[in-house]
Amino acid sequence: MADSNVKTIADVEFGGELPNFVPDTSIEATRRFGKFVGWGTPRFTDHEGARKEGLPGAIVPGVMSQGFLGAMIHRWAPDAEIIAIDTVFRAPVQVDHPHTITGVVTDIDEDEGTVEIDITITNEAGETRVFGTATAKLPT
Amino acid sequence: MIQQTREKDVAEQEAVDEDIKDLRERFLNREFEEVTFEIDGSRFAEYAKVCGETAAKFTDPDHPDFQAPPTYVSTLVGGRNTPPGFPHLGGMGMDAGKGVEWKAPVRDGATLTGRSHLHDIYTKTGRSGRMVFLVTRMELYDQDGIHIANADTRTVIRERPRG
Repeated sequence: MADSNVKTIADVEFGGELPNFVPDTSIEATRRFGKFVGWGTPRFTDHEGARKEGLPGAIVPGVMSQGFLGAMIHRWAPDAEIIAIDTVFRAPVQVDHPHTITGVVTDIDEDEGTVEIDITITNEAGETRVFGTATAKLPT
Repeated sequence: MIQQTREKDVAEQEAVDEDIKDLRERFLNREFEEVTFEIDGSRFAEYAKVCGETAAKFTDPDHPDFQAPPTYVSTLVGGRNTPPGFPHLGGMGMDAGKGVEWKAPVRDGATLTGRSHLHDIYTKTGRSGRMVFLVTRMELYDQDGIHIANADTRTVIRERPRG
């Protein structure tokens, strides 16, 4: 069962699931990311340009996927401070394909006020594309 | 025969690892680049919104605690991932992951200094051969010299089979 409205570490349960998050992987989103942040090359912003590079279509920049993971944690616990996050890019996140992010609490340290969370981005076929582990500090 | 093959495999693995030991000794933990970043709050607010952040402290420049999401530092990149003189390992490098250690908020208008070094070199061997992983760490400091974050980039190089 998904935890929500997490305000303090007392609200977190070991093994608790974060509410699923469906990130915006549209071409409009990657173009906006390219315009304001960077990674604006065709492999991220143009399906035809990406195919010319041998990709099946445009892909989401890895740094944007990492940003999705951080946003998911803040949506779950708005006062969480992410003090570490490690992200593994296992396979491309394809633009204009639906993806879902799931997360589960794997450790709680009440003395330190921290939780560890495993987070996974999967595509519509249920294949893992990005995997991450985060440590977040919560109010005690 | 099997025993001989295993001994050969072990000997080859040890021989392979020698080149990684040599790279580690020559290149780890030696700063090779320093880059300055002028932090623009409108840019990180857009980053926050397009990534799906909804908290005003990340998206609203008028919020009293306006700051960049912790993962934003992964977008701050230097000009190179390896030190001068680092050898070409014979395969194409791919971005295998990013890591962030957050220590303090990144604020609008800050001037950050990023200092890069190779933090780790290791291998994994699979059915398709050996993969070499390089972890490049950029340590970020603010204008007062306070260490605010580490941003790691993990590059994987899939070596071509040796002929």
